[in-house]
Amino acid sequence: MSNRKSHPLQRDGLAARKELLYEVLLAASAVLTLAVTVGIILSLLGGTLSFFSGVSFIDYITGTDWSPLIGEASYGVLPLISGTLIVTVVAAMIALPIGLAVAIYLSEYASARVRSVLKPALEMLAGVPTVIYGYFALVYLTPLVNGFIAFVESASVVLPVVPDLTGSIPTLRTFNVLSASIVVGLMVIPMVSSISEDALSSVPDSLREAAYGLGSTKLDVSTRVVVPAATSGIISSYVLAISRAIGETMAVTIAAGQSPKMPFFPNVLENLVQSTQTITAAMVQIAGAETRSGALYEAMFALGMTLFAITLLMNIFAEYVRRRYREEYN
Amino acid sequence: MATESESRAELEADRSLFLRRLKGSLFEDLLVAATLVGILALVVLFVLIGLDAFGLEAASDVWYLAYFAVLVTPMSLYTLYVRRRPAVAAVNARAFAVTFGSLLFSLTAFAVAEALEPTDVVIYFVFLFGPPAAVLGYARYYGESHLTGPAVPASVLLGLLTAVSVHGPLSAAIGFLLDWVFYLVFVTVPMAVVFGAVATRRSTARRGQLVAGIVVAAGLAGAIIGVTTAVDTSLAVVLASGAVAPVGFLIVDTVENHPEGRIGLLGPAILVGGVVVGASIVTRFGLTGPETWLTPTLLLDSWSDFRPEQAGIYPQLVGSIIIVGLMTFFAFPVGVGAAIYLEEYAPKTGVLGRIATALDVNISNLAGVPSVVYGLLGLALFRQGFGLTPGIVIAASVTLGLLILPIVIVSAQEALRSVPDEFREGSYGLGASRWQTVRNVVLPEAVPGILTGTILAIGRAIGETAPLVMLGLATTRFSVPDGLFSAAAALPLQLFAAKGNNIPEYRTGVVAAAAIVLLVVMLSMNATAILIRNKYQRDETQ
Repeated sequence: MSNRKSHPLQRDGLAARKELLYEVLLAASAVLTLAVTVGIILSLLGGTLSFFSGVSFIDYITGTDWSPLIGEASYGVLPLISGTLIVTVVAAMIALPIGLAVAIYLSEYASARVRSVLKPALEMLAGVPTVIYGYFALVYLTPLVNGFIAFVESASVVLPVVPDLTGSIPTLRTFNVLSASIVVGLMVIPMVSSISEDALSSVPDSLREAAYGLGSTKLDVSTRVVVPAATSGIISSYVLAISRAIGETMAVTIAAGQSPKMPFFPNVLENLVQSTQTITAAMVQIAGAETRSGALYEAMFALGMTLFAITLLMNIFAEYVRRRYREEYN
Repeated sequence: MATESESRAELEADRSLFLRRLKGSLFEDLLVAATLVGILALVVLFVLIGLDAFGLEAASDVWYLAYFAVLVTPMSLYTLYVRRRPAVAAVNARAFAVTFGSLLFSLTAFAVAEALEPTDVVIYFVFLFGPPAAVLGYARYYGESHLTGPAVPASVLLGLLTAVSVHGPLSAAIGFLLDWVFYLVFVTVPMAVVFGAVATRRSTARRGQLVAGIVVAAGLAGAIIGVTTAVDTSLAVVLASGAVAPVGFLIVDTVENHPEGRIGLLGPAILVGGVVVGASIVTRFGLTGPETWLTPTLLLDSWSDFRPEQAGIYPQLVGSIIIVGLMTFFAFPVGVGAAIYLEEYAPKTGVLGRIATALDVNISNLAGVPSVVYGLLGLALFRQGFGLTPGIVIAASVTLGLLILPIVIVSAQEALRSVPDEFREGSYGLGASRWQTVRNVVLPEAVPGILTGTILAIGRAIGETAPLVMLGLATTRFSVPDGLFSAAAALPLQLFAAKGNNIPEYRTGVVAAAAIVLLVVMLSMNATAILIRNKYQRDETQ
């Protein structure tokens, strides 16, 4: 293209400068991601620090009453944390086993054709907007579950052998933890299944063949060879899914309600039936409030900082598990 | 005795074998059941919301029968026919994609331009794309130089600055022109260029000019139809050049190049025909149809909090499209640029290598940050940082852009990583520089993967609500945003706001219908991504 006289392997100054310009531009966009992280930390820190200049940190972290909008504002974060934890635990009880089973099925049992249909279909579970999940839980799932409970209770009328359960199973409130947790569990299934499946299918075939050679069945190979070999990937998928469930916002805001509660104990099931409020839902409630100023506005940032710290720690832990306990095969 | 114990041992072995088989198949059934739980949940969600949105319960049996006869039966027969013929199936997929894709594209372009004022759109369009087109055209005819590459972004920047500075007087000067002239400039002309280029590449330059001419003629024909009849002239222009011309191009192209698959062109025709015939039968015989909430009112009117049958989501829908379009404009170049740097430029060792590793870790952490927290970032940035009201188009776009940035980067990185190293080495061997290798060899190979990831990320951004709530976007607005700094409304946010409405028709009717609209947008995004992926995966194996 250019026929200027220069050393055959040396580009002229303009070309070299152009190359450098492109490299700098590309590097700048990569560094921008660092700026985003710094921006997040700075903006959260700013709001959080001015929040704690008005509210004592000890009161925040040990307080059992969260009522920033009504009467005298009280900022105790414990009910929000417990609400978040309950939702997350129930969602994890749904998503972790199902997600792992899906991953084993897709990686070990399904044919390529079945996999090519099921994978995009399952990915859609994560693609459905979370607002829609919220409505699904509120409008359809709660009545469905209540109908199921009524059906179980009526079983004793049809089958006299079954003990009379009428009234012993509580029915769900309009806003309740159970429906919200179920939809959160559904939406994180693809996260568990896709990361776990990557881990399972990266286990080399030589391990499977060796196990078959020793006379193992497919069940043995899957559960005693492949799954243990992929443990680090599976655990990291679990941690990432739990972290996603903790940060999930719209579905729990719509379906789990806006009334923060300390957990019921020892009547544990009551926790699922009642409404609650998660950290994220509390942030949304403040964001939607009429006046957003002073401590109320800064409380959003304190909550955001709490959430960011929890999820960041979990993500780092997942990454650590993946790297530290990865079994290397060459 | 010996034989007896042997056969007994055999029997026991048999029984344990049976038990092992049973265990194995039970386990497999369990796995299948778990997989089906996920699929079933999706189906239940779609069916329940769909039933409410379309109000299908109200329809009479005869209505079902009519549509079964004119729509379901022909469509099923046709699908059965297509399934066994790959050539027809390929044409069929293209026909559906082109027909409905171009229709959706045209309507979106029309709605967005109407909202932003066609005058403004045409000014920015000309100044944004005119200069780089001129630079590239010059390079084409007089030979590329080292300055061509940098001149393109420089000309874009220059054009943008010029557009901002001359915008006021210019819009006053050309304001007397009729709206449809503007649409002719920024819909018909680009369409003509694109189709002309495709035709030129497929056959000759002459052919390309002919095709481009036909597209322009179609646009003008649309204008004539619009002027002489009651149809909105601008819409007629957009539809003629944005939807009719592509479909015509597809038909001609198929008949010429893939005659063995031309039956595939019938697919969209059978679908549309079935709907039209069904509708005419229903009105002719006065059948009781479903009490659907998915009405023109819903799609074209603004929201009402008191009369569910008058509630519409037009401002929210257009707001969402504008926000997400602008977001793509920010996030796509930055995300792909960062991915190129991390995959192609960053050294693996040394100080820079460590920084690159740190950036990688940082990106995967960013992907795990909850979306509400991004909302707080946007809030702090625009309220404290720039002193703006955060509930505006640009704040929403930037916030969502930052949110999807890690997703775009990671998927672009994967796409770049899957380009084999032999390609790069071959390019370097021919004396290409690093940037030339990236631009001419690596990027073209990685484009399908990058597009797939980006489209999925955009699909996710459309449904994202939490960051917009944190920004304090208006939940209900009655007009579409008319500029970057105008207050905006977004569709998912309106869904959320309707939660507080106590009239039951909202939850089970309007919201369900709006949710279906959102789901259709998301599904068509996913379908596009899957189509692109499948198309290029297939090409690779050939």
